[in-house]
Amino acid sequence: MADIQLVDVSIRDGNQSLWGATGLNTPQILQIAPVMDRVGFRALDFTSSTHMGVAVRTFREDPWERFRLVRAAMPNTPLQLIGTGFRFISWEKAHPEFMQLVYDRLVANGVTRFIVLDPMHEMDAVNETAKQIRKAGGTETVGALTYTLSDVHTDAYYAGLAAQMARNPDIHRVYIKDPSGLLTPERSRTLTPAVKKALGAKPLEMHAHTTIGLSPLCYMAAPEFGVETLHVACGPLANGSSLPNAQRIVANLRELGHTVNIDDRALALVADYFTRLADAEGLPHGTPQEFDASFLRHQVAGGTLTTTRRQLAEIGLEHRFDDVIDEVSVVRAELGHPIMVTPFPQIVCTQALYNVIGKERYDQVSDQCIRYVLGSFGKPTGPVDPDVKDRILSRPRAKEIMAEPPPLPPSELRKRFKPGITDEEFLLRAVMPAEQVDAMIAAGPAKRHYNPDTRALLKLLKEVAARPSVPDLEFEKPGFRLRLRGKTAHA
Amino acid sequence: MTLHRIFIANRGEIAVRILRTCRRLGIETILGASEADLDSVGARLADRAVCVGGPRSADSYLNVEAVVSAAKNAGADAIHPGYGFLSENRKFAAACARAKIVFIGPTEAQLDAVGDKLKARHNAVAAGLPVVPGGDVSDLKSARALAKEIGYPVLIKAVGGGGGRGMKPVHEAGGLEPAMNLAISEAQAAFGDPRVYLERLVTSGRHVEVQVLGDGTDVIHLGTRDCSIQRRYQKLVEEAPAPDLSERLRNGLHEAAVKFARHLAYRGLGTVECLVDRERDTFYFLEMNARIQVEHPVTEAITGLDLVEEQIRVAEGQPLRWRQDRIAFNGHAIECRLNAEDWTREFRPDPGTVTAAVFPAGDGIRVDTHIQSGAVVPPYYDSLLAKLIIHGRDRPDAIARAAQALARCEIGGVATNVPMHVELLKQKDFAAGAVDTRWFPQFLESRARG
Repeated sequence: MADIQLVDVSIRDGNQSLWGATGLNTPQILQIAPVMDRVGFRALDFTSSTHMGVAVRTFREDPWERFRLVRAAMPNTPLQLIGTGFRFISWEKAHPEFMQLVYDRLVANGVTRFIVLDPMHEMDAVNETAKQIRKAGGTETVGALTYTLSDVHTDAYYAGLAAQMARNPDIHRVYIKDPSGLLTPERSRTLTPAVKKALGAKPLEMHAHTTIGLSPLCYMAAPEFGVETLHVACGPLANGSSLPNAQRIVANLRELGHTVNIDDRALALVADYFTRLADAEGLPHGTPQEFDASFLRHQVAGGTLTTTRRQLAEIGLEHRFDDVIDEVSVVRAELGHPIMVTPFPQIVCTQALYNVIGKERYDQVSDQCIRYVLGSFGKPTGPVDPDVKDRILSRPRAKEIMAEPPPLPPSELRKRFKPGITDEEFLLRAVMPAEQVDAMIAAGPAKRHYNPDTRALLKLLKEVAARPSVPDLEFEKPGFRLRLRGKTAHA
Repeated sequence: MTLHRIFIANRGEIAVRILRTCRRLGIETILGASEADLDSVGARLADRAVCVGGPRSADSYLNVEAVVSAAKNAGADAIHPGYGFLSENRKFAAACARAKIVFIGPTEAQLDAVGDKLKARHNAVAAGLPVVPGGDVSDLKSARALAKEIGYPVLIKAVGGGGGRGMKPVHEAGGLEPAMNLAISEAQAAFGDPRVYLERLVTSGRHVEVQVLGDGTDVIHLGTRDCSIQRRYQKLVEEAPAPDLSERLRNGLHEAAVKFARHLAYRGLGTVECLVDRERDTFYFLEMNARIQVEHPVTEAITGLDLVEEQIRVAEGQPLRWRQDRIAFNGHAIECRLNAEDWTREFRPDPGTVTAAVFPAGDGIRVDTHIQSGAVVPPYYDSLLAKLIIHGRDRPDAIARAAQALARCEIGGVATNVPMHVELLKQKDFAAGAVDTRWFPQFLESRARG
C-alpha cells in the first residue's frame, strides 16, 4: 500500500477551469491561505502568467505582492507556477534573458515549484527552461507529459519523453498531465507503468481533469503503478472540467488501504470556505460529470465549446455547431494533432469556425494559427498537412509575421520605461498595457481580509446607500435592530 | 512542524482571543476550563471543552498535572497558556516537554532567566541594560546599608513576586525595619519564597514597555506601550505607542529590549518592562514578561500584526516572518480594561450574571471579551469583562473615539468601571499625555475628596 501526497490545484487550475481564472482575488486567497497551509498538501498549484495578468487586469492587484503575502501566510506549502517557458503574460515569445528574470523574481517573491509544460514536448526547450529555473533557485521542477489521444501519442512516445526527463538533473519529478480528462483506467494501466519504468527513481505525479468523469477512477489505480502524488481540488473548485475532489479522493484512497497524511479537518474547512465564497460571489460549483463519448473525438473542453456556441449564436449560425465540432477533428489532424491544451484548443476551434462559416476552408486564418504553423509555439508534434501549410504561409499576413523582429532582451526593453522601477514592475510593464499597470499601482495595496458571510449584507447596504430615495433604513426583528441613516438626510 | 490541535490553558477574554486566531489559521482548539467556566463563551466557541478541575484556580488553571494530562488526553500537539496562571511557570513548560506537547512560549531556561526578578535583573545587567540602583538584601543590616548607599525613598520587592504584589515603599530610614519584616513574611506566604530585594524608588516614573518577538535566533521589537495608569500596580488603561517620549529615549528603549532578548536568544513573544524616570529623562529595566500581555491588542492595532499567530508560528519552529524594517507603526491605540468592579466602592469586585452586554462596533473599534448577555462572572478569578481597544489616527483622535465608544457600552447585571474610564478620558492631564504612575491614584484621591 502506498503513501500518497496531494497537490491542490483549487487556486490556479480549479479557478481557471471553472471560474475563468477570474474567481479569486488576493484577500480571498489570503484569508484561507493559513488553513490550506495546515492541510499538508505537497504543494499548491498557485499561479501562471495568465493568473498574474488577471490579477492586474481584473482586480488591479499586484501579483508579486500576492505571492509575498501568501508565502508569509503559508510558509510550509510550496507555491507552484505552471508555464511554457517561452512566454510571460503576453502571447508573444519572450527573450530567454527576459524569462530568466521572470524566474528569478518568482523565486525571490516566494514561488519555488515549477511545472515546465512545453505543449509540443520539445525536450530542448524543456531542458533550457529547467536550467533557468535551477539558476533562479527554484526548489522543485516538474516536467509535464501532456496526455492526448492521437496516432502520435503512444505509450512508447511518452516513455521516451520520460526517459529524457529522467536523465535531466534539473527536472526533479514528472507528471502525467491530462488537461482534457481523456485518460481511461484501461489506458492508464499501460501508460503509467511505461512512464514509471522509464522514469526510474524520479517521483511520478498525476494531474487528470474530470471533464468526462474518468479521472477519479484513474486515480484509484494510479498508486498501484507507482504514482506518488495526485492533483486534486477542493469543494466547488473540484469536478466539472476541473480536477477530482480532494475529500472524495482521500476517502477512496484510504478505502483501498493507502495512506494519505493530511489534516482532514483543515481540508474540510478549505472546502467549506470555497463553498461559501462561491455562493457569496455567485460562482458555479463544479459537479461530477457524465461520460460523453463524443468528447473523445473532438477533445474540446467545455469552456471553449461554450465560447464557440456563443460566437455562432452571435452571427445567427448556431445550427452549424455540429459542423464546427466535426471540423475541429479535421483541423486538428491537419495541424499535426496538437494537444488540446492552451492555447491550442482556441486556435483549432477558431480555425474550425472560420472554415465552416467562410467561403472556403482556410480562407480566413488567425495570427495565432499562423504563428503555430511557423513554429512559434514549438515544433508541431506531427507534421502539418503540406497543402494546409502552404495555404497558411502564402498569406501576406504570414510574411508580415515572419518579418517581425526577434524578442528583445530585458536590457533593451527596459529603455522603454522610466528608470528606477523594480524588476517586478518592469516585467509587468513589458508585457501589459501601461494603463492597466498604472491602474494597479494607483489602486494601492490589496485588501487583506475577506469574509464570504458578510458579502450579501454588505452588498445590500452598499446598494441601499447608493439610492438617494432611501435616506433612512430601519430593520427590526426580535432582539435585533439595525438603523442606517443616509448622509443626505442629515447633511 | 505544523500544529493542528492547540489546547488553551486559560479562560476569559484571552481564551476567546486565542480561539479566534486558531480558527482563522485552521487549527483545532480544545479549551481546558474549570467547572465554573464550562458554560463560558470560550468553552462554547472552542471545538471542544474539557474540564480541568474545580472552580478555584489552584484546582484547575494552576494545576500543572491536571492541565497537562487533559491536553495529552485530548491529543493536543501544543498548549497555549495565555497570560497569568501557568503562562510563565517553568515546571509547567517542563511538564509539557515531558508529555511531548509544544509549550507556546519561551524555553524553560528563558522562563527561568526572567521568572525571578533577581535573575532577570542580573541578566539585564549582563546584557548591558540600565537597572534601578539596588540589589538583593538578606537581612535588615544589608538592607540598611544598601538603602543608605542609594538614598531614600526605596522600594522593597519580593524576588518571586509579580503584578505589584509584595512591594513595599519606604520613605525614610525609620520605616525600613517594619517594611522589611512585613515584606519577607508576605513574600513567604504569597510566593513560597522569602527573598526580597531593595531598590531606589523613582518618584516620578512612567511604566513603559517594549514588545519583542524572537525566534531563538533573531529578535525584533514591535514598539512601546505606556501602562502608567495603574491602581495598586494593576493596569487599567494602556496605549501604544507610549506618548511623548524623546526620540533618544524611545530608540534607547527599543534597542535595550532587543538587546536583552538577544542576550537570552529569546524565543516567542515577550515584554520588556521599563521604568521611565521623568526627572532624569532616562529609563531602567524592570522585568520581562515571557508571555502574551493583556494589553497586546494596542500593539496589534498599530502594527497590523496578529501576535497570537506570530507566537504559534515561532512555536512551530518557523523563523520570524518580518524583518524590523517591515514593521511600521500606524496611528495611536488605547485600551480600556472594563472590569466588573465598583470604582466608587474601592473597586470592589462585583461577580454575578451579566444581564445585558452591548459593545460598540465600527471602524477602529475592537472589543476583546468573553461576555455576552447571560454570561456569568465567577467570583474565583479576576474581574476583567472586556477590553475596549480604540485605534485612531493620532492620540487625540483615539481618545475622542474611545470616549464615544465607551458611551455605547451597555453592561447590565454587574457593576463596571466604565464610568471611571469615561471620567478618566476627560481629564486634561491624561489628554496632555505622559502622566506618571502616581497620577491615577492622585486622581482617585482628589475625586474622593470631592
